[in-house]
Amino acid sequence: MSTTKDKIHPIVYSYDADSLISKLAIIIERYTTPDTWQWLKEKSSQIRDEENIQHFMIAFAATPRKTGKQLINLSEEEIREIQQIRPHLTIQHWPIDRLCRVWFLMHLDTMNPKEYIRVIESLFPTAEMNELIALYSSLPLLAFPENWRAQCAEGIRNNIADVLESIMCNNPYPSENLDEPAWNQLVLKAIFTEKPINQIVNLELRANQSLANTLSDYAHERWAAHRDINPLLWRCVGKFMNEKIFPDIMRIALSENSTEREAAALACSMSTYPPAKELVDKNDELRSIIKSGMTWDDIGKKLEKNSS
Amino acid sequence: MCCSKDLTEKDLEPRVELPLYLESIKGMNFFDPHVHMTSRTTDDYQAMADAGVVGLIEPAFWLGQPRTGLSTFQDYYSSLVGWERFRSSQFGIKHYCTIGLNSREANNEALSEQVMEILPLFIYKEGVVGVGEIGFDDQTAAEEKYYRLQLLLAKDASLPVQIHTPHRDKKRGTQRSMDIAIECGLDPGFVIVDHNNEETVEEVLDRGFWAAFSIYPFTKMGNERMVEVVKKYGAERIMINSAADWGISDPLAVPKTAVLMKQSGISDEAIHLVTYKNAITAFGQSGQINVADFEGVKQIDQSLKFQGNTVLRGGQAPRVNKDSLIIR
Repeated sequence: MSTTKDKIHPIVYSYDADSLISKLAIIIERYTTPDTWQWLKEKSSQIRDEENIQHFMIAFAATPRKTGKQLINLSEEEIREIQQIRPHLTIQHWPIDRLCRVWFLMHLDTMNPKEYIRVIESLFPTAEMNELIALYSSLPLLAFPENWRAQCAEGIRNNIADVLESIMCNNPYPSENLDEPAWNQLVLKAIFTEKPINQIVNLELRANQSLANTLSDYAHERWAAHRDINPLLWRCVGKFMNEKIFPDIMRIALSENSTEREAAALACSMSTYPPAKELVDKNDELRSIIKSGMTWDDIGKKLEKNSS
Repeated sequence: MCCSKDLTEKDLEPRVELPLYLESIKGMNFFDPHVHMTSRTTDDYQAMADAGVVGLIEPAFWLGQPRTGLSTFQDYYSSLVGWERFRSSQFGIKHYCTIGLNSREANNEALSEQVMEILPLFIYKEGVVGVGEIGFDDQTAAEEKYYRLQLLLAKDASLPVQIHTPHRDKKRGTQRSMDIAIECGLDPGFVIVDHNNEETVEEVLDRGFWAAFSIYPFTKMGNERMVEVVKKYGAERIMINSAADWGISDPLAVPKTAVLMKQSGISDEAIHLVTYKNAITAFGQSGQINVADFEGVKQIDQSLKFQGNTVLRGGQAPRVNKDSLIIR
């Protein structure tokens, strides 16, 4: 990474940050009073000045005192426009203070990468719960994306439910940047802490054999303890079915729980393992589930509905 | 922390069978404005929730073991706005805190200088409802110096102040604390003087400060005495707390005292003021307390409904029946 001060690093941002700053400004202005909007503009314009770092940190902490915590509700069109600028970014239903904090971070000066990284890193250790959520939500929008891998992995070790969710769900950073062990840890912990895993960005894309094996072991532990298993788990397993995993699928194909049978059908449909094909051929119900066009998202939505 | 998938409304409801003595206050809400949950167990959180405690304030204090470095202060303050807040939310109790350098450790001047530098980073954080607990212990010059500096910090931030009054030489220490607060230009209406007793209460009230009482066995107030204080002085600007910490103390001190007040014929309205409302009014001047966050479980549900997931409803944990032999 270059640290030259006079030249902007060629891959500072992975997306068009200026467009997104303007786009978010329109939304923020709509959700704040004229006084608060004035305050936000003033603070954001001072952020680039290194002398003002202490002021920035206090403004970052004090944000909800100014903005309140109203939830953002965007139109379908706005959601799409934002995702055109930054794929997979979802700010729908964020409280306004979180959006403003993330927007603040987008104003930090990137000319000196070392200083940029130091300032952001220094916010994590003293962050309050909602600040942590904002910080982790900002990862996909920060400059020098490869620099936040360790921080992201550290966040997955956090045990505060909402903080974990801000990393795991609807956040494109992990799938784009984490290496396989850290990614697998994210998925395992999301399942273990019962997050809505269908909201993990690129869950299927980043599935791998090692994760599938670990998930199979996990399922065995749960069965031994007479505990339930999230049927969405099998979405990460289907493609990697082998002679060791296949008995698990046979087991859920015979489950009393219809959602588990649906998961078995979808897992088999992802697999090229011949016995999985045979299982579907021999089982009318599995075949009709696949034929119906049911998706993992349908199962996810059904699970969310049942638990709310 | 698992099996919350099986969580139903019933699992989040307070226990149906309360200890007999709590029956008379069933359905009442309580707010404990001084309790050190960091030093308490999840059993305490559960018992408090069952007894009707819906919100609390955890003042920054001395952990018992003197700190030797800035990092341990920093991590402690971070835990008050982070981890402990989350722990509390699992029991449906809204957790606030006050942030400050306690009087005992103010005597380590080299360290205190560093702590003063990081305090501004914390006092503006969400849910920080005041600067506290600060004041005198030994009543040394160093204690006075950092007490004054923190009063000015609170004044700048328009935050209430939670004053710890000393155990020894209490009356004079309390007077001196109030004198200095006035000298520093604080509005007495923004200052909560804590750990009062029969000897200090009159002057505190006369001078326009809030008078808090810690119901704490052996060293502070007993609740029978507290009943007499409320009978004598009324409920205006008076609040009670448990000050429960690492010592022998009782996190149910507020609901228990409410029972005793009720038995003694004190009106429900006065009990409400002393065990709930006054503390919220005083510390609510920080702008950080939204009663909708804890008045009734229904409202908690609504505020988090958009997530569409029970697990996230304030992160509440499933109840565990402590009397059950079976652990699942």
